[in-house]
Amino acid sequence: MPEEERKDMPTSVLKNDITKPNVRTTTFTIDGRERPANLAGETCTCAVIHSENFSLHYGSKAGVQNITMDIYPCSVTAIIGPSGCGKSTFLRSINRMNDLIPHVHTEGKLLVDGHDIYDKHTNLVNLRQQVGMVFQKPNPFPKSIFDNVAYGPSLQGVRNKGELQNVVEQSLRAAALWEEVKDDLKKSALALSGGQQQRLCIARALATKPRVLLMDEPCSALDPIATGRIEDLMHQLQSTYTIVIVTHNMQQAARVSERAAFFCLGELIEYDWTSKIFSNPAKKETEDYVTGRFG
Amino acid sequence: MMNDGNVTLTLTPAADSPRPLVLTPGQDLRGYLAALLGRAFLFFLTFSSVLAVMLILVFVVIRSLGFLSSSSLMEFLASQSWRPTADPPVFGALAIIVGSLYVSLAALVFAVPLGILAAVFLSDMVSWKVRNVVKPIVEILAAIPSVAYGFFAVLVLAPWLQREFGFSTGTNALNASLILAVMALPTIISVAEDSISALGRELREASYSCGATRMETLLRVVIPAAHSGIIAAVVLGMMRAIGETMVVWMASGNAPQIPHPWWDLAQSVRTLTATIAGEMGEAPETSLHRGALFAMGVLLLLMTLGMNIVSEYFLARAKKAGGKA
Amino acid sequence: MKLRFRGQLDRVFTIATGLSVVLLTLVLLAILGPMVYRGSSAVFFQGTVEFRKMQKNLFGRGDEQALHAEVAETEKVRQQVYEMIDAFKKGVDVEALSEQVRQIHRQFGQDLRDRNLPAGEYTRLRELTRQIRDKLEAAFRSQDINEIKRLVGEVLKDESNPQLKGTSAEKLFAIARQFLQAAGQIDLGKHQEYALALQEAEGILFHSEALPGLLGPRPGEPPAPLVMLRYGATRWDQAQTLLDRFLWVEHWVEEKPGEPLVLQRKPRAELFPEPLRPLFTYVEQNAGKMLHPRRTVYWQFLRDDNVNSHYFGGIGPEILGTMLITVVGMLFVIPLGIISAAYLVECASDGWTMRIIRMGINTLAGVPSIVFGLFGLAFFVLFLFPLLGFAPRPCILAASMTLAVLTLPVMIRASEEAIRSVPATYKEGSLALGASRFHTFIAVTFPAALPGILTGVILSLSRIAGETAPILFTGAVSLGAVPRSLFDPTRTLSYGSYDMAVGDRLGMMVPHNQYGMVVTLVLLILILNGAAIMLRTRVFKKLRGH
Repeated sequence: MPEEERKDMPTSVLKNDITKPNVRTTTFTIDGRERPANLAGETCTCAVIHSENFSLHYGSKAGVQNITMDIYPCSVTAIIGPSGCGKSTFLRSINRMNDLIPHVHTEGKLLVDGHDIYDKHTNLVNLRQQVGMVFQKPNPFPKSIFDNVAYGPSLQGVRNKGELQNVVEQSLRAAALWEEVKDDLKKSALALSGGQQQRLCIARALATKPRVLLMDEPCSALDPIATGRIEDLMHQLQSTYTIVIVTHNMQQAARVSERAAFFCLGELIEYDWTSKIFSNPAKKETEDYVTGRFG
Repeated sequence: MMNDGNVTLTLTPAADSPRPLVLTPGQDLRGYLAALLGRAFLFFLTFSSVLAVMLILVFVVIRSLGFLSSSSLMEFLASQSWRPTADPPVFGALAIIVGSLYVSLAALVFAVPLGILAAVFLSDMVSWKVRNVVKPIVEILAAIPSVAYGFFAVLVLAPWLQREFGFSTGTNALNASLILAVMALPTIISVAEDSISALGRELREASYSCGATRMETLLRVVIPAAHSGIIAAVVLGMMRAIGETMVVWMASGNAPQIPHPWWDLAQSVRTLTATIAGEMGEAPETSLHRGALFAMGVLLLLMTLGMNIVSEYFLARAKKAGGKA
Repeated sequence: MKLRFRGQLDRVFTIATGLSVVLLTLVLLAILGPMVYRGSSAVFFQGTVEFRKMQKNLFGRGDEQALHAEVAETEKVRQQVYEMIDAFKKGVDVEALSEQVRQIHRQFGQDLRDRNLPAGEYTRLRELTRQIRDKLEAAFRSQDINEIKRLVGEVLKDESNPQLKGTSAEKLFAIARQFLQAAGQIDLGKHQEYALALQEAEGILFHSEALPGLLGPRPGEPPAPLVMLRYGATRWDQAQTLLDRFLWVEHWVEEKPGEPLVLQRKPRAELFPEPLRPLFTYVEQNAGKMLHPRRTVYWQFLRDDNVNSHYFGGIGPEILGTMLITVVGMLFVIPLGIISAAYLVECASDGWTMRIIRMGINTLAGVPSIVFGLFGLAFFVLFLFPLLGFAPRPCILAASMTLAVLTLPVMIRASEEAIRSVPATYKEGSLALGASRFHTFIAVTFPAALPGILTGVILSLSRIAGETAPILFTGAVSLGAVPRSLFDPTRTLSYGSYDMAVGDRLGMMVPHNQYGMVVTLVLLILILNGAAIMLRTRVFKKLRGH
């Protein structure tokens, strides 16, 4: 994002922590007051998501094993790796979407905002409201565009029509879809094109105002133009959201992410700055993969 | 597209009033209890099917206990003489039990070859389009209420049989089993077709590549491979036939006798279901007669339960076989 | 060579499979075709004037004046029938004639007493008429035309007697003369036979003890106690049958000893002597004018109650009863079925509880329908109702609940399939937005599964409407008042169809009503099923297109 545009942003102040290069500390101005983005009031260098020896099994089959990594706020973290390596599984573990699959059990810790989300008292509804998700295939509900976006807010008890309209507009603008659909919000969401549907799904996720946005290969079903738009969108969103994206497209990972994690066979091989992963990886497997020598 | 950057940031993350990620029951007692009670309530409703089965068993058995305790089970199962209104009454249900099995098996003799041929036709011979035309025919056959079949048996088929074949009565085992065959066909066709088409193309291709014709492929490879499903289909068809009431009541002639010679379908027989349907109205409450009818119900229930278990077993095997292929 | 044989065998096999399906189709057509054809004639048929009379009197339908005019017109044509029969009776029905003569004689004696004649005069006149009476009766009994001529001639000598002029005894001479004329034309040895044959013919024409006739009772006759005897053939097809029976006599003859009997027909006219024969030609030629057949659409068949065990009227109460039982049953089945299905799909977690529930559903689906009847009787009627303080007797509620249990597996399976076929992405999308499972089900899964669930609803509906065996002991009756509450038993289409098919002989005389009842049931169910099939294909198309 160009520097001058950042200056234009009136409600956000970006501060770079010089001691830790490339780790941005972000504060937001809400209701005229400045607040740190982290709930605990700590500086944002601390991780939003903290995974420690996290493993997940489907029955006797291992999904991911011993993942230990921190995901930092207000940045894009990419998870790359060959198919079947557990990257989607790990992503889906973060908002416990894996619960839908029978016979899943987990070990280790996965903390979001310092809370172990695999605690038995975890409130899944609250978790998923704060950790939104965009899926591989666009999955709009068979409802109107408006109803799709308004679904999340209405779950949180927003009944006021004007307020809903406001949220829908903002979310659609944020997802760069507003200009295209503003005239027919009542149209069925299924009538949109694939790229539009995916941006609608992003708008839908944004409307719930999550802190973390998980994206599971969001562009795999899209053409290059639609992919470009969604990548632009991620650039815009990264100043306010913590984005975790799973992708098998290495160029995409290089374009959009700040940090990248390489998964292989259910294990985390390497986790570092994206530039480092792609230019100078520490591990042999990573190098093989990013240079295309891996299957 | 990038011109709405300012709007982007008015859409702030929900940081101002985050909902707690962890709620212990103590913190959210109402939500916790609602979820627990709701789940229990839903479970109870879902369990009502099982409850119904248990109630059916218990109540039908209870009503028959009076008869089973005061009368000889041996006589019930081994005597052919059914004279519930004589003095003293005789409750020998053997002829009736045999009658039930007799018409059902005769129905299967008609229905099974036809059903398997039709299943093969639907699964292997025709395109999806033709199949979509033929399938509703089978479904309509299944949908026609049994009393309408009975009506047809009495008013159309019986006079026709009497006229064309010179039977002494048109309401006989042949009539009943023909109609039962038609009624069992939809079940047999759909279950058999499912298991035949579940086998997948690889098996057929393997056989074709060995130079087999379609008939040989089907008869020597596909149908033997689908035998579990076909057995399940036959058992389910038998269940349908043995549990059917209206048709046999109306069309079988209701004579409690074992046909002699055994292959003579032109004789009248009587089935368990028809006996219950026909005599319940005349059997006074708490009488032995009513108990005997309930005992017939128990017998019927046991038969169908047994067949149910057999069919489930074969269906599970068919599923496994289909999954492998 | 062997290859060719195999190829032919293969072709034969292909044809055999095709034939099996053709056979199925033929069976379906053989069952439905006649049923629909004959059943539809309950509503669409040629109605006669008798039908309109019946509708006016029993149900108060139709224009009174037009009906009067029509009746007058037909009576004019019928008059000749009455006259021909009466004229013939004068020569044949000697019993009736004797009775008539005796009656006149008694009347005359009464008249004489009223005139206060002197005793001698009274005795003389009385003696005179007694002689006339005896001679006439002798003439009626006689089988010799000459003797009849002599006796009647003797009687007619007294006609000029002034003392009998203008009295009630004068009628005797008219009878005598008519009898002489009629007797000249018939075979006197067959009096008895003619009388019987005439009685039968009259039975077909007007009505007999138990069966209605072609034209209905003669005007002025006291109304028969059975309503159906008060009208002639109400439908032209019925009239045709009766006309055929009127014109032809059928009997079984043994042509060769030892071989099956053969049906023979001969004209009924041959049973009668010459003077009555024109009657048959007249009736045959003027049947249309006497009955005025007209195209009729009797849609009220679906609304009217029946009269005389379905001889007249429709199947309104049966339809009402079927609907009541179905609706009440569905009230139980729909929520229970959907909730069970939702639970099985959404909350299926514990292995063994789920297995037990699934086994329960499968078992329930396999229980014979008559056992449901036993269960309904034993549990709802004899156990639950007394427990709750209701009268332990069969009623709509018990029938509905029994059928609800019976159809529960259908509903659960269809709903489960529908809910399962909702794409998982919808559900994930909703859950990822922080919707609870309950909310996800209500807002996303259920609406998407609704068409499939509706299919299940329709299928259960048709199952409930069509079942007979479970309601035999729990709520169905063949006759009875229209139910006032859910605690009354009711007539239903299904049980009515059974009853009409085997119940009593009267049903056989009105095949249109018989078939009309069963075809209403079958069409109702087929329409419901057709709707379900269409709904399902549309859903599949939508899902595949998506």
